[in-house]
Amino acid sequence: MNIQFKKGALELCVLALLYKQDRYGYEIVQKISDQIVISEGSVYPLLRRLKKEGYLTTYLQESKEGPSRKYYKLTDQGRDHLQVLNEEWKQFSEGVNQLIKEGDLNE
Amino acid sequence: MNKKQFLTSLEKGLKKLSHEEREDIMHDFEEHFSIGLTDGKTEEQISESLGSPKQISKELVATSRIEKVEATATTTNIFRAVWAVIGLGFFNFVIVFGPFVALLALVFAGWWTGVAFISSPLLLVFSVIINPGTFEFFDLFFSLMLCGIGLFIAMGMLYVTKVLKNLFVRYLKYNVSLVKGGLEHD
Repeated sequence: MNIQFKKGALELCVLALLYKQDRYGYEIVQKISDQIVISEGSVYPLLRRLKKEGYLTTYLQESKEGPSRKYYKLTDQGRDHLQVLNEEWKQFSEGVNQLIKEGDLNE
Repeated sequence: MNKKQFLTSLEKGLKKLSHEEREDIMHDFEEHFSIGLTDGKTEEQISESLGSPKQISKELVATSRIEKVEATATTTNIFRAVWAVIGLGFFNFVIVFGPFVALLALVFAGWWTGVAFISSPLLLVFSVIINPGTFEFFDLFFSLMLCGIGLFIAMGMLYVTKVLKNLFVRYLKYNVSLVKGGLEHD
C-alpha cells in the first residue's frame, strides 16, 4: 500500500493501542506489524514525536524477564487527539467504502 | 545485519543529535533487540524487520531539527531543518525545496525593496555630491516619500517574515509526520 497513506494511519494505530492499557515499545511494534506490513523501526521515531507533542508520556517498569522496559502511556491530550483522528478515519473509510460499493467492485 | 551492525549504523546516523537524545534512542533500540531475542528471534530477523537504520536515523534527525527551529528560529536552524527534511527522500526534496526557495526569494525581494526605498534620500545626497548642480526639489520630495514607503514596507516585512517562517515550520512538520520514508523496506 501507499507509504504516505500508511504513515498517516500509523499514528492512529499507535494511539488506539494505548487507549486501554500502557504498553512497551516492542509490544506496540509487534501488535502493529501483526496486522500491517511496516518497517518496524519507523514506529520509534513516531513514538518520540508523539511524546514530544505531549500525546504520550513514558515511564520505566521492571520486567520479570530482564532489564526494565520503557512503557508508553496516553495523556489526556493524547486521548483527545485519538478521538479526532478516529472520527476523521471513520469518515474517510466510510467514504471510500461507499465509493467502492457504488463501483460494484466486489461483484 | 546483526545487532551490532544495526546499532553502529544507527548511531553513526545520529551523530548530529545531542549526546543525551542519542543515548535515549540507542537505549530504545537496544531494548527492542533484547526483548526480541528473549522472544526467540535472531538478531538478523530483528534488524531485518526494523528496516534501514539509515532511514530511521534520518527521520529522527529531521524531527529533532524541526523542534530546534520551533524553539529558536535562527537562520542556521531553519537551513538545517530544511536540509534534514529534503534528505528524507526524493519526494520530500521536491515538495520542500521548491516552496523553500520561492519563499526565500520573496522574503529577500521584500526586504531589499524596503532597504532600497529607505536609503533613497542617501542616494540622492550621494548623487548631489558627485554631480553638483543637478539638485531638484522634486527629487528630494520623491526620495523622502520613498523613504516613508520603505519604512512601511520594512515594518510589513517584519510581520510577513514571521508569519511565513511559522507557516513554513508547520509545513516541515507536516512533511515529517506524513511522508517520511522508511515504512517500506528499502
